[in-house]
Amino acid sequence: MHLFAVLAGVLLFSSTLFAQGRGGPPLARIAPSDKAFDPHDLSGIWTRNGTPGGYGGGGTCADCGDRGFSNDVPPFTPLGQKLFDANKPSYGRLLGSADAAAHPEEAIGRRRAVPPANGTDPYQYCNPEGVTRALIYPDPVEFIQLPDRIYQHFEWGYGIRTIWLDGRKLTDDPDFLRWWGFSTARWDGNALVVESNGFDPRTWVDHFGYPHTDKMHLQERYRRTNYNTVELTMTITDPQVYTKPWVSQTKKFHLLPKDGIKTVDGWTGLLEDVCAPADEVDQFDKRVRDPAGGVTHK
Amino acid sequence: MQSNLAVALRLGAVFLIVSALLFAHHGTATSYDNSKTFTTQATVTEFRYANPHPQLYFDVKDDQGNVAHWSGEIAPNPAQLIQVGWGRKRSEAALAPGTVITITISPSRVMDAHVGLVQKIVGGSGELVLGTIALNPGGGEPTPKK
Repeated sequence: MHLFAVLAGVLLFSSTLFAQGRGGPPLARIAPSDKAFDPHDLSGIWTRNGTPGGYGGGGTCADCGDRGFSNDVPPFTPLGQKLFDANKPSYGRLLGSADAAAHPEEAIGRRRAVPPANGTDPYQYCNPEGVTRALIYPDPVEFIQLPDRIYQHFEWGYGIRTIWLDGRKLTDDPDFLRWWGFSTARWDGNALVVESNGFDPRTWVDHFGYPHTDKMHLQERYRRTNYNTVELTMTITDPQVYTKPWVSQTKKFHLLPKDGIKTVDGWTGLLEDVCAPADEVDQFDKRVRDPAGGVTHK
Repeated sequence: MQSNLAVALRLGAVFLIVSALLFAHHGTATSYDNSKTFTTQATVTEFRYANPHPQLYFDVKDDQGNVAHWSGEIAPNPAQLIQVGWGRKRSEAALAPGTVITITISPSRVMDAHVGLVQKIVGGSGELVLGTIALNPGGGEPTPKK
């Protein structure tokens, strides 16, 4: 067989993988492992990233779900529709394009992208992503598990979230809202069930601009299905926006080895993927993003 | 001697790594028109190795000697660049001000904005700088059918 014929086959295969938005090759680290594990131990660095290294943005790994909350969106309430229409995302298929028209099977939220300079994505200004969006974004998250709490430390944005495991109950109507909300958890068999509320409504559910109010209640169910895999399903209950609870696509995370993330100097552990306004808003947005969208600054 | 298959698989693996960079992380692809992608010689004026968007600023001279100042978006962020060996020091050295490069750009959909998405950079010695830094044209990703 000629070299180029073989190479063409490899390239075609890999192109197909990426065309599906699924990311990287079938790495050993994402294969189910028969290694012993404690189903109540979620500690470690987990990733949904499809690159060979398992980090660095981009697409998700082959079996990890996509980058949206779910394509099956419940009908909006009138307020929900208004909030949805006000959000102008820059992810998904370009609004009004032939590409968008060719995919009617996708929810409209995934077919209405505008250039970032003309959009309203709060993360374009380095605001915190919020819980659901951070969990969906395909970059590593480290679970730091203590007896009475779990910290989720997200590489993207370098944000941290606390999930309490000390038996506390959520406050019905928190006095002050948080970008990362308030979270408490319990074990239901081998599932960690996290209940959260008190979310700042300026965050989006996902990067397609799905809205929520400050009354959103979020339930997450984590289950470690093998040594290498954690599965997550989320349910949003926000009757001011959605006419029934919205259940997410099942998302999977795979375990990254301790030295799985490494700088060119060999330094391991989560990278500092901070979106700093000094770099993004003052430089990139003003000098590149905005003029690319026809917005100029004097 | 390596078999053709082994060589092809090795090349394929490299392709997989650089292809991973094809994915936008920040939804900016909607700003650019891939159908108008072009290649030109340019001189670097500034390079910013920053999260989440590295930026390249460069001058392009036309046949009459007129100089246009361009701003370029580098799609992969530093986390992606280090996976293919392009750390800050190496990148900044390869794109120091005054460096002459051959650059492939997808320009903004806004006419004459002189802003573009950087698809490829070839240095003076023929080196592919920053790997292959193209971006997913859709700016997002396909979603599964219901």
